[in-house]
Amino acid sequence: MMEATEETRGDWRVVCVKGRADAEAADALESALRSAVEANAKVAADFSALDYISSAGLRAVLQAARAAQTKDRVFAVCGMSASVKKVFDMSGLHQVLTIHGELPC
Amino acid sequence: MLEEVVLLAVDERTGSLRSTREFGTAYALVGALFFDLALARKIDTDTETIHIIDRTPTGQPTVDRVLAGMADKPQLTTVRDWIEEIFLRRDDLEGEALGSLIAQGILRHEKTKRLWIIDVERFPLVNDRPQQHVKARLAEAILTDAIPETRDIMLVSIAEQCGLLGYVLSGTQLSSRRHRIETLSKLETISRKVNEAIAGLDANRQQSIGKIV
Repeated sequence: MMEATEETRGDWRVVCVKGRADAEAADALESALRSAVEANAKVAADFSALDYISSAGLRAVLQAARAAQTKDRVFAVCGMSASVKKVFDMSGLHQVLTIHGELPC
Repeated sequence: MLEEVVLLAVDERTGSLRSTREFGTAYALVGALFFDLALARKIDTDTETIHIIDRTPTGQPTVDRVLAGMADKPQLTTVRDWIEEIFLRRDDLEGEALGSLIAQGILRHEKTKRLWIIDVERFPLVNDRPQQHVKARLAEAILTDAIPETRDIMLVSIAEQCGLLGYVLSGTQLSSRRHRIETLSKLETISRKVNEAIAGLDANRQQSIGKIV
């Protein structure tokens, strides 16, 4: 079960993601991140309440980042828990995405 | 994915297959099959384990046979276990992909004799567009810094493991983009586990050679 809510902080649109980002939630996650990217110049995915991310979830984040890159928007992932960060680190996603320890705003 | 990789292995001039009978390539083809299952939303993975999320058939016989086999063995849970399991009973993944490409009118099958006795099989391209499309996607994924589509990330890793990138890009291009290829090849759990399996195979081979010498 995953939940995504949005809020504005400074000039960033923050998508707060909570729960599990697995195959069941991947479409909803990608859609939430993409729609924020469509409408905002700077988007941060706040993963501080994300408990788990699978390969399908990582693909969703990566494809949202791709959409941001195509539209020349700023996209960052932030606030990951140790277990989620481990998955990102193993995948080497820090070489492809902008990742912050804390929210950039 | 499996069909795209096998299509890439067909020499566009002669119709012969490039080095796809090696064990390392066999592992990579198993990886391609798992990517087909992931793209069809039948399985999901995390850093170690694999989960079946939907058992309904896709309509692709090879993929469905493997999916049904996985559903029958719930005791196997890790990606690595499943790569080894499918590798051991992999049947002829390459032959099935070739059969499908022939049925789609992309390849044709020719059987000739060399020196009157040795059977030689070739698979000349009937329609070269699909192969050109696969090559163009690979070139774009590797030569640019843009984030590729999921399917193209998977394709780069499998083509690399099969040793097929040299048929798409020059040696200079490959060496200048080595870091990019390695980054893309590491993104997916399935790719990393296939790489581990191939590395294990290479280590065993080196050990065997060492014993003989």
